[in-house]
Amino acid sequence: MKKLSNVFMALSFLCFAVPAFAQGGEASAVNWVAITAGFSMAIASAVCGLAQAKATAAAAEGLARNPAARPGIQLALILGLALIESLALYTLVIIFAKVK
Amino acid sequence: MHEQLWFTQLLNGLFHGPVTALLRMLHIEPAFPGSPISNSAAMEVLVLLFLVGLFLLIRSRLSVEQPDGLQHITEMFVGFIGDQAHEIIGHGSEKYVGFLSALAFFILMCNLMGLVPGFESPTAVPVVPLGCALCAFFYYHVQGFRRHGISYLKHFAGPIWWLFFIMIPIEIISHLARVLSLSVRLYANMFAGDMVTFVFFSLVPIGVPVVFMGLHIGVAFLQAYIFVLLTMVYLSGAVAEEH
Repeated sequence: MKKLSNVFMALSFLCFAVPAFAQGGEASAVNWVAITAGFSMAIASAVCGLAQAKATAAAAEGLARNPAARPGIQLALILGLALIESLALYTLVIIFAKVK
Repeated sequence: MHEQLWFTQLLNGLFHGPVTALLRMLHIEPAFPGSPISNSAAMEVLVLLFLVGLFLLIRSRLSVEQPDGLQHITEMFVGFIGDQAHEIIGHGSEKYVGFLSALAFFILMCNLMGLVPGFESPTAVPVVPLGCALCAFFYYHVQGFRRHGISYLKHFAGPIWWLFFIMIPIEIISHLARVLSLSVRLYANMFAGDMVTFVFFSLVPIGVPVVFMGLHIGVAFLQAYIFVLLTMVYLSGAVAEEH
C-alpha cells in the first residue's frame, strides 16, 4: 500500500510539467555570460582557498618548528597570501567588466 | 547633473572654469563642463590636503625629550616601513623610505576614506590604483638606473647571457604584469569591499553591513601594506648588487 502511494506521489509530480504544453513563443534570451561568470568565480575562489590553505599550513608548521624565524615566515606568508588572492581577484574584475 | 559628493560639488563650484579651460587646452572635452572634477579626483585632493596638514602638524610638534602620542604613532609607522625596507632591500635602504612611507600613507588614507559617510574611496575607481602602480613602477626603474647606470639593462637579459633573445620579452612582459597586478589587486579589493557592503545593506540594513565595514578596515590596512611590500621587493630586485 505504501509503495503504491509513493508511486502515485511520484506521478503527481509530473503535473508540474504542464507548462511544456504552452505555446512555444518568444523565449527570453538566456544570459550565458552571467551563468558562466557565476561558475568561473566559484571555481576561482575555490582553488584560491585551497592554495591559501596550503600556504598557511606550511607557514604555521614552519613557525612551530622554528619560532625564532617569525619575521621571515610572517613576511613570506603575507606576501604569498596576497599574491594568491590577487589571482582570484582577476576573475572578479573580468566579471565586472563583462557582465551587464 | 550627475551625482556628486559634497566635497566634489564644492571644488567644482570654485574651480570649474580654470579646470575646464586646462582640459580643453589638452584637447580633452569634459563630459560635464560645469563639473569637470570627478569624485575620485576630488577625494584624492582631500587626502592630499589632509596628509599635508597632518605632516605639518607632526613636524611642528616634534620633540626629542618629550615625544607626544602623535609622534609615537608616526615613529611606529615610519619605523615599521624602514625596518621592512631594511629587511628586504638590505644595505642602503634608507633613501627609499621617504617615497615608500608617502605611498603607504596615501594608499591607506584613500582606502579608509570610503568608510566615512559622505566620502568615497578614490581607490575604488580603476584609475587611481593604476596611478599609484605607475608611480611605483617608474620609481623602481629610475632607482635602478641611478644605482647601476646603463648596465641596469643587463638585468633584463637574465642569468645566462646567451639566452637574452628569449629572456628579454619575458622580462618585459613580467614587468608590465607587475603594474597590472599591483593596480588590479588594490582596485578589486576596494571595489569588492564596497560591493559586498552594498549587497548586504540591501538585504539586512541594520547591523550586518557593519561587519563588512569592519572587514573592509582590515583589508584597507592589509592592501596598503601589500602594495608597499611588493614595491620594496621590486626595488630590491632593481638595486640589488651582485657579489
